[in-house]
Amino acid sequence: MYGFHGRLLHIDLTGQKSSWHELEESRLRAFLGGIGLGTSLLYDFAPPGVEPLSPANPLIFTSAPLAGTGLTTTAKFAVVTKSPLTGFIADSLSSSFFALELKRAGLDALVITGRASSPVYVLVNDGKVEIRDGGQLWGKSAKETESLIRAELQEEAVRVAAIGRAGENRVRFATISNEGRHAGRGGVGAVMGSKKLKAIALRGHDAVCVADPVGVAAIADSMRQRSLGTLTAKYREIGTVANLALFNRLGTLPTRNFQQPTFDHAEALSGESLTENNFSRRHGCACCTIRCERLFKSLTGAEQRLEYETLFALGPLCGIEDPESVIRAAQLCDHYGLDTISTGGTLAWAMECADKGLLPEAQDLGLSFGKAGALLKTISAIAERSGLGALLAEGSRRAAIEVGGESAYWAMHVKGLELPGYEPRSLKTMALGLAVNPRGACHNRSGAYEADFSAQVDRFRADPGRGTLVAASEDFGAVLDSLIVCKFLRKCFTDFYAEAADLLSRVTGWSCSDAELRQVGERINTLKKLFNMREGWQPQDDWLPPRLLGETLPTGVAQGVGLTVNELREMIQGYYRAREWDENGFIPEKKLKELGLPAEVQNVQTV
Amino acid sequence: MGRPKALLLFGGEPLVVHIAGVLKRLFHDIVVVAAPEQELPALPVTLVRDEVAYQGPVAGIYYGLRAAKAEIAFVTSCDVPFLNLSLITYLLSQISDYDVVVPYCQGRFQPLHAVYRRSVVPFLAEQLERSELRPIYLYKKVRTREVSEDEIKRLDPDGLSFLNMNTEQEYRDALRCWEELRRGGNAAQDTSAACVVELFSVARLLAKTAKVSLALPQQATLADVLSALAERLPMLVGPVIAPDRRSLTSGNACNINGREFVRDSRIKVNPGDSIFIVSADAGG
Repeated sequence: MYGFHGRLLHIDLTGQKSSWHELEESRLRAFLGGIGLGTSLLYDFAPPGVEPLSPANPLIFTSAPLAGTGLTTTAKFAVVTKSPLTGFIADSLSSSFFALELKRAGLDALVITGRASSPVYVLVNDGKVEIRDGGQLWGKSAKETESLIRAELQEEAVRVAAIGRAGENRVRFATISNEGRHAGRGGVGAVMGSKKLKAIALRGHDAVCVADPVGVAAIADSMRQRSLGTLTAKYREIGTVANLALFNRLGTLPTRNFQQPTFDHAEALSGESLTENNFSRRHGCACCTIRCERLFKSLTGAEQRLEYETLFALGPLCGIEDPESVIRAAQLCDHYGLDTISTGGTLAWAMECADKGLLPEAQDLGLSFGKAGALLKTISAIAERSGLGALLAEGSRRAAIEVGGESAYWAMHVKGLELPGYEPRSLKTMALGLAVNPRGACHNRSGAYEADFSAQVDRFRADPGRGTLVAASEDFGAVLDSLIVCKFLRKCFTDFYAEAADLLSRVTGWSCSDAELRQVGERINTLKKLFNMREGWQPQDDWLPPRLLGETLPTGVAQGVGLTVNELREMIQGYYRAREWDENGFIPEKKLKELGLPAEVQNVQTV
Repeated sequence: MGRPKALLLFGGEPLVVHIAGVLKRLFHDIVVVAAPEQELPALPVTLVRDEVAYQGPVAGIYYGLRAAKAEIAFVTSCDVPFLNLSLITYLLSQISDYDVVVPYCQGRFQPLHAVYRRSVVPFLAEQLERSELRPIYLYKKVRTREVSEDEIKRLDPDGLSFLNMNTEQEYRDALRCWEELRRGGNAAQDTSAACVVELFSVARLLAKTAKVSLALPQQATLADVLSALAERLPMLVGPVIAPDRRSLTSGNACNINGREFVRDSRIKVNPGDSIFIVSADAGG
C-alpha cells in the first residue's frame, strides 16, 4: 500500500496489552487519514453512549497520507475521541516532528482504550510496544515530560506527546502537547489523563512509500514555491496575531465576554504592536516553509508563542489590556496544558458572574474584567482544580448549570465548546458555522468566516443561502484535515479539489477524482453528525448562546447590528437543505446510503 | 418649492437615491419615511409611510425609528445633497452615554442631522399625542449630547452637511456647488474629498504607519486611491500593491468603512471614506 501502512495499533491500558490490526484500504479511501480516519475509528471503537472520561472511550491518534511526503505544511496528525466538554466528537490537530514520527513508527492509527492502574507512558519503538512506568513524570509539564523521557531512553530523536497538570486533573479543556504545539480543543488531554496515560513516545524508521515519487516531488516543489508568495505573507511576516487590530476595526473582536465587539486597548495588544515591541523570533513546524509561529518576549525575557485565538481569549475577552499579562497567561496555559480559548471563555464567564454578583468565590479572588493578577491565579487554580478552579475546570456550560440563575446567559459556548474570537453577530456566515458544526463553536473545522471577510456576502445580513457556503466550507476543511494539509496553505491551490485529487493519486496509486474527494468531505462531516446523533444530539444543540440573539452590538462599525432567532433559524434550515438533511437536521437513509454510511443510527430519529 | 425635493436630480439621479447610496457606505439598514401618497423610485431600503400626514419632523423621526432594526440610527432629511460621512461617523461615536446626539449650528438644533437611540420612540409617541411637534421638547426629556459648531467645523468647515433647498434658486445654487465639487474647483472641498487609508498586517509593518490621509480628485475610484497610496508609500508596491499601482496583489484585500469588502478597483470612493488595506486571509 502506498501513502499508508495499512495498520492500526490498539493498546489496552487496563489489560496492559497491545495488538496490531489491518486497516482496510476501503476505509482509508473513504475517509483518508487525520480527522476522517479518526472519525471512522471513533464510530467503530466507542461504545454508544460511552462516558468520555471512562476507560472505554477510545483516544485515537491518526496519521495521514501526506505526512512524511515532504510536501510543505503536512507534518500533522489528529487526535479524535468523545469530548468530555461537549459529549460529542472531539477532533483536534497538532503538528511537527511527532507527526512525522507517528508515520515512521509504522502505523496509520493508534487507538488507546482502558485505564492504567497507575501513571504510565507508552513507547512505540519500531513496532515494539512498551507500557512504561510514568510515576516520575506525573505532575510535570508536557515540556518537562518530553525532556525526561528523552533522558530516560537516552534517545534524543524520540518524539513525545504529553499532557500537563490540566490533563492529569481531567480539566475538561486540557490539551495534549508536543514540541510546544497542542491538540487543543475539546478536552482530548482530559481523556488521556483519565487513562492515567502521561505521554506517548515514538521512534521509528519505517519509510513512507509513495506511488509516484517524481510526481509528488514536483508538486511538493511547486507548493513550496507557492507557499512563499504574497498569499501567505500575513502568516510569514506577522502571524495570526495580525487578526486582532483588524477584527477590532471591523467590529468583530469579542470583548468582555461578548458584551461588545471592540476593545478600547486593541492597539496595545495588536499583532503589529507586539511585533514592534515584543517580537523575539519566528519558528515553524517540521517540514513547513510558511513558519507562522511568532515567539514574543515577556519582560522576564522568557519566550512565548502567541496566536490570535490565545491573544483574543486571554486579552480582550477578559478585558486584559496589558500585553505582558497576556503573555504570562499564555505561558501558564501552555505550562499546564490548557486550551486557551476555553480557558479565556470560562474565565470571562466567571468575571461576568463576579461583576454581576453571582459568584462570591470569584469576587473573593478579585476576578473581574481587566484584573490580570486574579486571572493568572485562577488559571493555576483551574489546572490544579483547587478552590474555584474545580468549578471552572468543568468549562462554562457545566459551571453555569452549577451556579444557576442568570449565569447560563453569560456562558458563551455551542454544544459546550467555548466560542473562538469571531463575533457571530457581525459575521453572519460564521454565526451559522458556529451553530451547526459537530465539534461545537469551532473556527477550524469550518472556515465560514472566509465568506464574511470577502465581497461574496454582506456580513451584517443573514440569509438562508449561507447554508450552502457553510456546508462547502466544512467539507473543504474535512478534506484538508484528513489529507492533512495545513489550512494556511489553502489559498495557494488554484483548484483545490482537482489538485488534491491529483496529489493523492500520485501518493497512493489510486485514481482519485475531484468529485470523489468532495464526497469524502461530505462523508466525513456526515459521519461526525451521525456519531453525535448516536451520542444524543438533538436539534436544539445546533444553536447559539442567547446573548448573541438577545443583544445588538453596542460599539464600532457594527453598532446596532444583531442576530434574530428567525434569522438564525432560517440559516440553519438553509444548511440542512444544503446537506439534504431533513428539516430537523436528521439524516435521511437515502443520504447515508449514498455516502456508504451505516443506517442503523436512524433509530436515533425515533428517540 | 412646488415639487418633491427627494426627486431633484443631482448628477442625473434623484437626490433620495444619491443619499441612500451615500448612507449605504455606513449603514446596512436604511429606512425611508415618505408621505402617504409620495412617489419614490425603487430603492434597496425599508420604506414606511407617515400614518398621519403633516406632523412634521417628530413624526418622521418616530416612524423611522420604529421601523429601524438597529438600536441606534442616524436621521437625515432627503433634501441634503452634501452629507459628510466623517461628520456622521463622529456623531455616531458620541452616542455611548446619550440617547440623542444633535448638532447645534447655524443658530439652531439640527434634528434632521442627528443620531437617536430607538429607546426614545415612546417619548416621541407621547409628543405626537400631545401635538408637541418640535423635536427640541425631546431633547429636554432624554440624555442629549449637543454637538457644538466648533466640533462640526473640524469635519465640515463650510457646513455643507446642513445645506438644504427650499426654493428653486436654492436648488440651482446647490447644483452649481455640486458641479464645482465634481470639477474639484473648491479648495475647501478638496480637503473633505480626502479619504483615510488604514493599513493592517503586512502593509502596516512595511509602511511603519497605521494610517495615511490622501487627497483625491472628485469621483475618485479605488484604483485612484491605490495609485495615490503607491506614490506616498512606494514600499507597498510589490508586496501589497500590484506593479500596475491600481490594484492589490493576491493575498491582500480592501474594505471600505468597515462595511464592504471590495474586489473591483473601479468602485467609486466617497469623500470621508476610510479604506482598509488588509491581508485577505482571516484565518487563525
